[in-house]
Amino acid sequence: MQMTKIYEGAYQWIMFARDPNKPEKIIDTNQYVVRTGKRCLLLDPGGVELFAPMLAAVLHHAPVEEITDLFASHQDPDIISSLGLWDQALPHAKLHAPELWEGFLRHFGCETIEYVGIPDNGGVIQLDSVELKLIPAHYLHSSANFNVYDPEAKILMSGDIGAALEESGTPMFVDDFDAHVEKMRFFHQRWMPSNQAKRVWIERVRELDIDIMAPQHGRIFKGDDVKKFLDWFEALQVGIAV
Amino acid sequence: MNNSQTKSQFVAVASIAAELSAVMDVAKEISLAAANAKAIAFRAGEKAKGFQPITDFINELAKETIELVNDINEHALLLYQLTVNEYRTASAYNKLQEVNTLAVEARYSETLHPSLQHASEQNLECRKHFNQHVSLLLDQLGEVMHPARAARVIAANSRIEASQAGEYLQSLQAVAESVDHAAQIIHEKVQKCRSALNVINLSEAA
Ligand SMILES: [Fe+2]
Ligand SMILES: [Fe+2]
Repeated sequence: MQMTKIYEGAYQWIMFARDPNKPEKIIDTNQYVVRTGKRCLLLDPGGVELFAPMLAAVLHHAPVEEITDLFASHQDPDIISSLGLWDQALPHAKLHAPELWEGFLRHFGCETIEYVGIPDNGGVIQLDSVELKLIPAHYLHSSANFNVYDPEAKILMSGDIGAALEESGTPMFVDDFDAHVEKMRFFHQRWMPSNQAKRVWIERVRELDIDIMAPQHGRIFKGDDVKKFLDWFEALQVGIAV
Repeated sequence: MNNSQTKSQFVAVASIAAELSAVMDVAKEISLAAANAKAIAFRAGEKAKGFQPITDFINELAKETIELVNDINEHALLLYQLTVNEYRTASAYNKLQEVNTLAVEARYSETLHPSLQHASEQNLECRKHFNQHVSLLLDQLGEVMHPARAARVIAANSRIEASQAGEYLQSLQAVAESVDHAAQIIHEKVQKCRSALNVINLSEAA
């Protein structure tokens, strides 16, 4: 598992990705970790296959008892099918996930972890003195879906929005936006169902001050590429399969 | 617990549930046969006098069987939940061991040990629970055999009583036959449950 620090201040954001031992047929995912003084939050911690490499990687940064929070942007298996295993490994942690998905996500096993449901209009995760905002991104692609925004680090963890399907072992950052577009087009057109939801989300996100947009698949957008992404997405017709 | 053991445990528990629901159906058939017999005996009047208490008896046995199977079903459901728990704790334990190997060089690798310990204890606990419930279930299955056995004796008596019932002979004999047949089926199904449970015990010993 490769680890890349994407923010370093009074606390850190670390990206975990490009696991070389990932079975070939499962989609590559990016996991993110926010590490403060005494706590540690895992964002979209991943599927069952990723649990062991992921926890082993996190142990470079935090002891088990300080992994206090998990966040699941939505219900997909590549996001959180590892829940049953975290449930055994972290008996005192909280899972922040859409309220709407609670009855479904519990199928993965959530006996000891506390399920903290995120209401439709969003909320916050307080991690020591860091306040992370949960931004609604419903229907992009999941019917109850959230992004995580950190106003201090100016990072938007955008889940499946901005995802690209690429060969394994690609770079962590977008270097040529125009070339990157082709790796995103089908994913967004086919998985995202609603042009209206897309418009509302873009409006909401344009209000935020963002340096880094970090999706759950593919590469991270920096600086001007964030704006370019929003413009490209705005012009894109989604929900094409009907 | 390895993978094939877990699988055979899931299959065994599922097949017990299937056999039990078949026992339930048969018990309901017996109770229907008893109601039938009662009506016939009533019509037969004096001629089937000896038959009347027998029908009440058959009905009692059917009720008893249904109650027992209801209890057993609850147990089987619990056994299924315990199997799920055991599967979860076992796979967590295996995964945590994998983490332990992968994290040798990690700064905080030692902090994993309480979780490993916990997972291993949980798994043992599940196994213990499971075994307790398997032996309880075996006892209960033994109990179901009693009414089934009694039903066969009664069926034999019914045949004798039926022989004095004149024109009702045939219908009363049919009742006796169906009770006997049902009791046999229950006996078979219960045996199947027991051998399924024994498979679990065997796989555990392996
Ligand atoms: Fe998804
Ligand atoms: Fe995804």
